[in-house]
Amino acid sequence: MKIRILGIGSPFGDDRFGWEAAEALRHSAALNAVAPGRIEILALDRPGAMLPAHWQEADIVILLDAIRSGAAPGTRHCLEARDLSSTSALCSSHGFGIVSAIELARALGNMPSRLLVRGIEADSSWTGFSLSPAVAGALPSFVADFAEETLHLADPHALANETSHRIGFNRI
Amino acid sequence: MTESRHIPVKVPVLARVEGEGTLELRVHDGTIEDLRLRIFEPPRMFEKLLEGRDYTEVPDMVARICGICPVAYQMSAVHAIENLFGVEPGPWVRDMRRVFYCGEWIQSHSLHIHMLAAPDFLGYSSVVEMAGKYAPEVRRGLKLQALGNDIIRLLGARSVHPVGARVGGFHHAPKPEEVSALLEKLHAALPEAEALVRWTAAFDLPLQEQDFTCVALRHPREYPMNAGRLVSDHGLDIPADRFEAHFTEQQLSHSTALHCRLDGKPYLVGPLARLNLNLDRLPDPVRTLVDGLDIRFPSRNMHHSIVARAIEIVVAIRVAINLLESYQEPQRPYVEIRPRAGSGVGCTEAPRGLLWHRYELDAHGKLVSARIVPPTSQNQARIEDDLRQSLQSFGLNQREEALRHFGERVIRNYDPCISCATHFLELRIT
Repeated sequence: MKIRILGIGSPFGDDRFGWEAAEALRHSAALNAVAPGRIEILALDRPGAMLPAHWQEADIVILLDAIRSGAAPGTRHCLEARDLSSTSALCSSHGFGIVSAIELARALGNMPSRLLVRGIEADSSWTGFSLSPAVAGALPSFVADFAEETLHLADPHALANETSHRIGFNRI
Repeated sequence: MTESRHIPVKVPVLARVEGEGTLELRVHDGTIEDLRLRIFEPPRMFEKLLEGRDYTEVPDMVARICGICPVAYQMSAVHAIENLFGVEPGPWVRDMRRVFYCGEWIQSHSLHIHMLAAPDFLGYSSVVEMAGKYAPEVRRGLKLQALGNDIIRLLGARSVHPVGARVGGFHHAPKPEEVSALLEKLHAALPEAEALVRWTAAFDLPLQEQDFTCVALRHPREYPMNAGRLVSDHGLDIPADRFEAHFTEQQLSHSTALHCRLDGKPYLVGPLARLNLNLDRLPDPVRTLVDGLDIRFPSRNMHHSIVARAIEIVVAIRVAINLLESYQEPQRPYVEIRPRAGSGVGCTEAPRGLLWHRYELDAHGKLVSARIVPPTSQNQARIEDDLRQSLQSFGLNQREEALRHFGERVIRNYDPCISCATHFLELRIT
């Protein structure tokens, strides 16, 4: 079972969330304890239509991204690929988002067996260079819980014996 | 009897182009009375943002103007500043800048052909819909786009807003083994790109010729990218620093993007103009490929732009192969710079056409003023001209929906980048 975690973002504000989460996960002792090669973590800068190229040979792909749904900033979102479909066929050379990329991959028969999206609601009023306080505040617990979820996905049978120990170690 | 149509049609966004605006059309008695491409995306003030900045910051700042053609912005900028400083960075830098540009042409053209333009000619509303029947072609397009990104990454460290370029050269020289790996991909892509040319040339493209002036760079030996004189098919032949004597930008009340005209008239920049003016600069194998098509260039049919883009992908792959096959790692990938006061001009061929920059710097290398003329603002008046002619021959009695789709298609054919020009689409027909 090969899992690829793709943190999607851009340099400023809450759109950094995917990158910041990917970076924090790279330092997760719990994930680092998993056999090499089974979990890969990448940070991507607005991949557009190139997104599916980054999930080749992975069984499970998890996209980490800032989300805007109108919910309170900092709210967690857990979505499956099937939950995502664009309401229109609109796209532009500059705005080929992850929904369009997933739809294109689906049309080309290029989907992993599971594609999950995990994110945090961005603060649309935030204009700072770094994360907004709401997203920055939600990040540590998101990362800890996400690491646990990833371990479960990587090895569902081992969860009962090992996960609680690993997560506990991570927090020391 | 005279009749005027006043039926407002609102479309929230023009699909498959970048930016926000409106096409306004007033038809009276079967004739277009008024046609305006209203661009209302707010001005981005990039030139003002650059004032007071150090010259070393300029390549990375201007790369932010566009996510699709950052290399073009960097190349026009570094050439303008080196022109001002009187610096010649030498053959290695010159060759690698050409390779860098090849990456951007391949990436940008491939994206436009497959994601934006091909669905128009094959009768689909989007590439996602088109991928159902044309999966191998879409896969090929994505592969070519990825190859373009790989080239940009080789010299720019990343494909979006690359950071490798500097005034005087590059921050970092690729390792020979990285170049060899890329060369393998380039060789593998060449037959695929040639097949792409034949695929686009076989589309059922509308046969509509128009009268327009083509403007592009022209180099003594090469297909133009970073260097050359500014030429037109109507007698213009000037160095880049004479641009302002012939080209004037004008503010129109219906657009936040400036309209640029050549001696008062609209003109075309971009792949079709470039190809029309530089057929004899195509590498020989590409010329043979082009001569074997049913389409004859120079062409006055704007729909042949998609074929011109595909041909330029082949040009870029061949140029990159040619330059990288003799690659040698340099001792240092840049030359030292000594700032001085003055003003300098740089003009290069962005994927969408001429990109002209002028900078004025003080003795400490700080920017006093900047002027940037992007391709889309140069093509705006030409797009309006094309719309007038095309919609008239399409038939103005068609349903609004049909007129809207047709208008969008005409505009998309230019691959306009409204954000670069500041600048796009909602349609209002009255």
